[in-house]
Amino acid sequence: MAKSIDNESFEFNYKKLEKIMQKLESELDETSLDELMKNYQEGLKLINICRKKLKEAELKIEKINSEYNN
Amino acid sequence: MENNTPVSISELTKRLKSVVEYEFKFVFAEGEISNFKLHSPKGNMYFVLKDDSSSINAVMWNTQNTKLNFQPKDGLKVIIKGRITIWDARGTYQIDVWEMMQSGLGDLQLAFEKLKEKLKSEGLFDESHKKPLPQFPKNVAIITSETGAVIKDFIRVSEKRFPLINLILIPAAMQGEGAAKTVINALKTANNPDLKIDVICIARGGGSIEDLWEFNNENLAREIFKSEVPVVSAIGHETDFTIADFVADKRAPTPSAAAEIILPDKNDYLERLNRFQYLINNLGIRKINNLTSNLTYIQNNYFFRKPLDTLNNFKINLDEFEDELLKLPVTKINNLNTELNYIEKIFFNLSPENNLKRGYSIIKKGDEYISSAKKLNLFDKITIKFKDGSKDAEVTK
Repeated sequence: MAKSIDNESFEFNYKKLEKIMQKLESELDETSLDELMKNYQEGLKLINICRKKLKEAELKIEKINSEYNN
Repeated sequence: MENNTPVSISELTKRLKSVVEYEFKFVFAEGEISNFKLHSPKGNMYFVLKDDSSSINAVMWNTQNTKLNFQPKDGLKVIIKGRITIWDARGTYQIDVWEMMQSGLGDLQLAFEKLKEKLKSEGLFDESHKKPLPQFPKNVAIITSETGAVIKDFIRVSEKRFPLINLILIPAAMQGEGAAKTVINALKTANNPDLKIDVICIARGGGSIEDLWEFNNENLAREIFKSEVPVVSAIGHETDFTIADFVADKRAPTPSAAAEIILPDKNDYLERLNRFQYLINNLGIRKINNLTSNLTYIQNNYFFRKPLDTLNNFKINLDEFEDELLKLPVTKINNLNTELNYIEKIFFNLSPENNLKRGYSIIKKGDEYISSAKKLNLFDKITIKFKDGSKDAEVTK
């Protein structure tokens, strides 16, 4: 049934990215260099995924007739 | 005005003004709009109200006309409430309009107001019932006519704004008798949980009040209220308000505006991603800078620098000492030795141990050496140290 994988993964990835950014910004001093590098790479990956999704997405259109017409 | 002295025009106008404005401080009139002008940017409306044989200038200020639920235009018959004012500078009079309604639709308007009041008192319009719209909708249902500009506009805006959605068109009749029923059916369909619809938009373009009348249907209003999925209404133009608009979770002034309200903006998010990228790079650089300066700080710390400094100082002293030594002849060194022995002896003679041997004793209170009688009080415990041991004692006097 109606389900947009693209959109779901955009929201999922974007929210994940937002969380990483918030954490990095607020806890930079407590973050170890290792952790930072891991988050940095993850963040860049998510940025690219989200950007790609926004740029390449194509609107899906469908039509459903009312079930209740009688 | 009995005497022969003429009055000034200002005086005359003032008197006219006081008579006319007092007499016509409330007017309730019906007429046709002509020569309508919307004065931008302030938004004051200037027009003429007329019938077959007479006309009066009228003005509706921007403070009043924002409440209008229709767009005034030439030829429209209206009923107004207001007052007559005189404009001193020109000697003209005009109606200052407070309220204006379209005439000729009295019954419909009355029915509308009645239903609006009824549903309002039942709480159908309450803010507390308004459901929030999702940040990232996935499945967006649009209930509108299958043909026409609305669906095309909505698709166009969606493609531009946020094409990451499934747009689901549920066709319904948007005007004419029975239209409300088809919209109700479409709403029921959109609420089918299998469809996983995140938000519903009911949209139609502008039209006359009769065209939009189906959206003042009570059953439709209740169906919108019942909808589990948030409903955005976009019916007619900005100035058209229907019952459906009041009960919807969100009202959009036009169908295109509805798409903008429902969908996040792709460009906005691309911009955010750019900012994130800039920020994450910055954070990386900041962390490395922090760590580097921490390291430098630690390196420069006293604890790390002190041993090195001490060692260096020691080295310098040693070098100097060596130089001094090398300068001295051998006899001088021997003399120095004798001198050292002598100094050692003096120190020994001055030491407390030596004094004890000579018969003196030392008094201590706790760890404190007592060198004055003033330092001792009655019953203080003291220790007296002799050359051959110590005894504890107490001060008795």
